[in-house]
Amino acid sequence: MSILTLREAPPERLDLDGLTPAALAGLSEAEAARLPVGTSRRGLTLGDCFAISLDGSDELRIVGATERLDRVGAGLSAGRIVVEGDVGQRLGAGMTGGTLTVSGSAGPFAGTAAKGGTIRIAGNAGESAGGALHGAEAGLDGATLMIGGTAGERLGDRMRAGLIVVKAAGAHVGSRMIAGTIVAEAIGDHPGYGMRRGTLVAARHGALLPTFVETGRQDLVVLKLLATSIQALVPEAAALLRAPMRRYGGDLATLGKGELFTPVG
Amino acid sequence: MTAWIDGRAATREDAVAAAASLLAGARSPVFAGLCAEAASVQAAFDLARTIGASLDPAAGSALYADLGALASGGAMTTTPAEARGRADVVLALGAAPWASDILTELATDGPVRGRASGRPRAVLALGGPGAGSVQHVAYPAGEAGLAAAIGLLRGLVAGRVAGPHPLADLATRLRDALYGVILYDPAETGALGAEMLNGLVKDLNETTRCFALPLGDLHQGRAVAQIAAWSTGQGPRVGFGRGTPEHDPWRFDAGRQAAAGEADAALWLAALPTPLPAWTRTVPTVALLGAPKGDEAQVVIGVGVPGEAFGAALWHPRRAAIAWHAVDGPQPVPGPAAAILADLQARLASPAEKPFPAKNPTTNPERSASC
Repeated sequence: MSILTLREAPPERLDLDGLTPAALAGLSEAEAARLPVGTSRRGLTLGDCFAISLDGSDELRIVGATERLDRVGAGLSAGRIVVEGDVGQRLGAGMTGGTLTVSGSAGPFAGTAAKGGTIRIAGNAGESAGGALHGAEAGLDGATLMIGGTAGERLGDRMRAGLIVVKAAGAHVGSRMIAGTIVAEAIGDHPGYGMRRGTLVAARHGALLPTFVETGRQDLVVLKLLATSIQALVPEAAALLRAPMRRYGGDLATLGKGELFTPVG
Repeated sequence: MTAWIDGRAATREDAVAAAASLLAGARSPVFAGLCAEAASVQAAFDLARTIGASLDPAAGSALYADLGALASGGAMTTTPAEARGRADVVLALGAAPWASDILTELATDGPVRGRASGRPRAVLALGGPGAGSVQHVAYPAGEAGLAAAIGLLRGLVAGRVAGPHPLADLATRLRDALYGVILYDPAETGALGAEMLNGLVKDLNETTRCFALPLGDLHQGRAVAQIAAWSTGQGPRVGFGRGTPEHDPWRFDAGRQAAAGEADAALWLAALPTPLPAWTRTVPTVALLGAPKGDEAQVVIGVGVPGEAFGAALWHPRRAAIAWHAVDGPQPVPGPAAAILADLQARLASPAEKPFPAKNPTTNPERSASC
């Protein structure tokens, strides 16, 4: 296992884009130490900020991480990155495979444009987790994003594919959603604002938009299949999917092919 | 008196030297406010590129509500002058349009050009304050708020929401308009509401003409967006820390950087009146102000007010463009902020003032220092 240990709290935001096990595998520790990670004109390198221990394996551990580390695991395609601590914005941006776990919390835009692989955040996530960046085509795009704590506003904003499982989230969950699935215990007001397609499942929710309409009680096989597929990952969420569900369709402001499921009663 | 250091009066020469040394030592300097004429804003972008600073206009948040919607799905917009010439229906969204001269002017006459020429102009209000002297038809936004009402209106216009509804009549009026204009403040609708509004406008253009008309901000934000576009090819929240301009609306939010302790120096440019953020007194800051008191920041330098002290290129709200504002008999002092910024640029770009001696100047002149 390769290990990067942050020596002290960084004096500026650091950009760890592309620091994946595969990218580090071909480098000596001296070579890795010269990789640029700073975002100011001082040109900080990996070796300036981290103690580096590489063994060429497909597992990378980042120890002592703080919310100033941006784009941790961005572009990951295989292997495993384990983060001890918090991370900044764009965790796992654009990753296509592998697993990424964070023991603390993440900043905004976790999992943006991630096409594959699994991201697990034990703590909270900032705004637009699984959401799209300014002007970007899509947010989460096929990967699986699991958040143990609370996500900020606009969870899954403009997501196009994949699965998000979260304990609780703020307002506007699934805004502008193109497709994909979000399962939550509790979500805030106005979920699905401007969603075109996609599925939201929530045990509890805030105020619904006037452009969501109830379409009755549903007992859909697809939800049972989804429950089976996530049973191993998050058993609580799987249990929620097996309950009898009421369905709302929306957002009728746009295409209106999205849906929100919430337990009957 | 036009210059201060630590609240005490100073000569301009000393103040500019103090400003240069304050910025020269900075790791992550932030240039904010940017409420000035085009030449000074341009000079701020040039200086930022030289010293690796990031930029954020005072109008940042409201501006990005609109820029986000524009970047995501495009927009069909018009100008106040075009609206006045052509619109037969004006829909004012929320409360902000009622505080704007544009709506009052639109209410005084009717269209004189184009398809709707000669028709009366109807003023409609969705979620307005329901007061004022402008005659209009008022529709309630409902308790879900303005953004939700915009979505509902879009659903009604497209026929996806049917049946009797308080906003159904409003939807019909927009569909029947020959040249509809929807007046809004992106700060009030929010980014999601602005994007939904642009979608509504596009839906209406399937069968008739309709345009969005965003209210400009008071702090030159629209001009800064254009200057940023021609200077960097991107939006105004850019940073030059890594040499090339990086656009990141979250990372380069000046208020966020100050609160997070990331900004270790700042330049606040407000040649025109702009609310001063609290952080100019906590982050080491150089303030270039049109109306200085002297205690706003560590270094304060008075600058001329563009459009009053000297002719300047400023945002013209009616034309929705940068336009020249002429002044008869310009006063020589204080001069434009651009002159101070050019002075700083000359001092900071010269090799003698280079802030960071490289660790290994022979092998790696650009990269040095450590955490």
